[in-house]
Amino acid sequence: MSGGSRRAATIRRGGPWVAAVLIVAADAYLCVRDPQDLDRLLINAMLALSAFATLHARLLSLASAGFAAIGAYASAILAVKLGLPVFLSIPVAVLLCGAVAMVISLPVLRLKDVYLAICTLGFGEIVRVSIILIPGLTGGSTGANLSTGFTYATMKQTRSWALALTLVAICYLFWSASRSRVGRALRAIRENPEAAETMGIDVVAYKNMAFLASALVAGLAGAFYAHSVGSLDNGDFKFSRAVDILGYAVLGGSGAWFGPVLGAGFLTALPILLRDGLGYGLGFLKDFAQFPNILNGLALMLVIIFAPGGIASAFPRAAEQRGVRRRDLVRPSAPAGAAEAPSRSTGGKGKVLLSVKGLGRSFSGLEALSDLSLDIAEGGIYGLIGPNGAGKTTLINLVSGLVPPSSGKIEWLGREIQGRRAHRIARAGIARTYQNIRLFGGMSVLENVVAGRHIRLRTSLAAAWLRLPSQRREEVEAREEAMGLLDRLGLSELADEDAARLSYGDQRRVEIARALALEPRLLMLDEPAAGMNERETSALGDFIVDLKRQGIAMLVVEHHMDLIMEICDEIVVLDFGRKIAQGAPAAVARDEAVLEAYLGRE
Amino acid sequence: MDFGILADPVFFVQNVVDGLSRGALYSVFAMGFTLIFGVLDILNLAHAATFMWGAFAGWLVMAKASMPLPVGLAAAMLAGAAIALALELIAFRPLRRAGARAGADKLSPMISSIGASLVMVSVAEAVFGVETKRFPDRVLDPKPFLIGGIGGVRISRAQILILAASVILVAVLGFFIRRTRIGKAIRAVAASPRASLLLGIDVNSIIAITFLVGGALAGAAGILVALLTNDIAPGMGGQIELRGLAVVILGGMGNIEGAVLGGFLLGLVETFTIAYLPGGSDVKDAIAFLVIFLILLAKPDGILGKGKAERG
Repeated sequence: MSGGSRRAATIRRGGPWVAAVLIVAADAYLCVRDPQDLDRLLINAMLALSAFATLHARLLSLASAGFAAIGAYASAILAVKLGLPVFLSIPVAVLLCGAVAMVISLPVLRLKDVYLAICTLGFGEIVRVSIILIPGLTGGSTGANLSTGFTYATMKQTRSWALALTLVAICYLFWSASRSRVGRALRAIRENPEAAETMGIDVVAYKNMAFLASALVAGLAGAFYAHSVGSLDNGDFKFSRAVDILGYAVLGGSGAWFGPVLGAGFLTALPILLRDGLGYGLGFLKDFAQFPNILNGLALMLVIIFAPGGIASAFPRAAEQRGVRRRDLVRPSAPAGAAEAPSRSTGGKGKVLLSVKGLGRSFSGLEALSDLSLDIAEGGIYGLIGPNGAGKTTLINLVSGLVPPSSGKIEWLGREIQGRRAHRIARAGIARTYQNIRLFGGMSVLENVVAGRHIRLRTSLAAAWLRLPSQRREEVEAREEAMGLLDRLGLSELADEDAARLSYGDQRRVEIARALALEPRLLMLDEPAAGMNERETSALGDFIVDLKRQGIAMLVVEHHMDLIMEICDEIVVLDFGRKIAQGAPAAVARDEAVLEAYLGRE
Repeated sequence: MDFGILADPVFFVQNVVDGLSRGALYSVFAMGFTLIFGVLDILNLAHAATFMWGAFAGWLVMAKASMPLPVGLAAAMLAGAAIALALELIAFRPLRRAGARAGADKLSPMISSIGASLVMVSVAEAVFGVETKRFPDRVLDPKPFLIGGIGGVRISRAQILILAASVILVAVLGFFIRRTRIGKAIRAVAASPRASLLLGIDVNSIIAITFLVGGALAGAAGILVALLTNDIAPGMGGQIELRGLAVVILGGMGNIEGAVLGGFLLGLVETFTIAYLPGGSDVKDAIAFLVIFLILLAKPDGILGKGKAERG
């Protein structure tokens, strides 16, 4: 390696740390100069974390300013009008925010991207209008003056300490959650919600949780703001404030919790420093009241265009668990999953797992699948073939719960499961891979597979926060098992790579490993050999047969006919959404209808 | 409470007139909004800031340079078009290029437009100040026409102008989109940018033209609102933004005819709420949100959401 590229690597690794230190130093300078700025800084960091909570779960919510307003006014009213002690008024106000969040999350979180943003923008406006409409309590449009003990100068230090400790506590909660199963699930949702759902992650529940966390943290920041400033004006929480908050989180990056804290530190300090500190040369900026807003707006645009990952992305995979990498594993190549499943006889088929009856699905009048019936038994390998558009992927989507059927039934172990949400179907023991690969792109290969074990892990949020030994043990075990799976698929060398950077064939194998991590009883493989060369394909065939010996049933969609003929016990042929043949490979290969569908009538 | 007004036909007609002219403004604003959404499938949250700059451009030309009204309208539309084009080049196109590399995502353009909007409003505040600007009387004689003599229905010159202008704009846009080559290309890109590209349509140029047209509509709406309310300020976009969103959702995202109808509907509903509901003027600001909320409650993907999802 030449000296130049080594220097470049050093800059790449060291640069972000220097930047982070510079931001912290600038903020420290600010606080020493004017203690009032300390409060502002801490509150902004808290608000940034509130926006982060939603962005991290891929929700563009603009509700943080609204929740901060509720927290601020509620706490102020409780303390001033009802005489509640300040230290009690804050938690009560925060709980109120939580209650409001739970009520509005029911309808609002069903919405997608754009609509969620619009609705939360409307929510902020509603809060603002409501505040104006009840002037008796809030001071209406003129604002509320509140002098509680907490706002007096003598209390300033106590207040700043309380604020700082609260922020540290919140950071701890974010940090510990992000290193647990909970954080991994959220990252999976951010990278690919659909795949996360079919890995058994309850996307809706996690999004609800993220929204609630965001509301609670925003309410807390608002309440502290009220007692720090001493007077409230509903202009404090107008739309541009919501944009500021979004700016902190976007600049900081939605990847890791410390990003938004740094983002808030940067965007709070920069305008002040430019205006005052460096103001000798830029004296005209002193009277330029819009300067901070312009800076915020520009930062928002520049970051989203040129560095969409924000500051956090300069610290690669900082959020992921370190220290339990391969070198720390007790048994690096333990055969995972395999050991647990009792091996069954390879010959005759077991009991029926999945039974599809008269299943149909039409998309705006076009029948993608109609009247399909099929039984899948334990330990059987079922090939699903047919020309493009025959309905093969549709069947997998229907069984995995991503698409509800238009007609017919899907029974799993005798119970009807059609219409269930995908994560519940995954929990029942049905896993799948995707024709167009859906890995969790920003995560390492190992993390991808561990994410697949989500439903087999027990750690709750509380356990993650307490960092209980049981939780750590579970994490280590999950990693061991994931490593075992990667080993079996010949991927262990790639465990630390970013999943999105692997070759096509390797990505397919990672998807299979991730699906197996769920310990499924039925595995549906959608074109697993696409993009693989002959040698890889035949290795995959051996692997699939090996899985069959563990008793896993498989439904394989594939265009490599050699593979299908070799491994399948039974082949189902679809054409235009209908089953045209079913039977042993040799019989299907001779079937008139099949030949016609594939080769056309002569 | 005075129930007499409920039966008063003059009062009723007066509210229809006021509601229609209010609605015409919403329609013109929302048309540009929904046009850009339909083509790009993203929300341009800087549309309201474009609208505000259009109002200021018209005000500068008419109040400061004493130009006649048609020149003011043209200036507002030009300014709106130029700003919207700049937005496309600075805030959206680079993201599309980046999106081609890493998977496209709908949040980034929206965030980018929020940043652009903040810059535009702040620059306006820095240049013009935050306080309200007004037209001198010579620009628009504030004396209304009376239909049916004293005590009859009052129509201001601004209202006549707004209704006439909006009808013309709707007709011209309709013709442009339905009949012209470029209009057809715009519809093709809205349906599928990829397929359009394969068919040899210069997608980037078409998107730029869409922004020009949408921006011109925003600018027109800006100067028309300014003439009606005689109130021009950097914050004026905030008032209409939420209403515009409501109209766009009401009419179906990307649906121009829907936006026109939705605009008139919202204008009428708001006006009648103020007129006939006690405390209506406090409630009217909430109507737009209520519309958004109720529609999305029933159809979480938006009115046209389903069709769009299945197309892909």
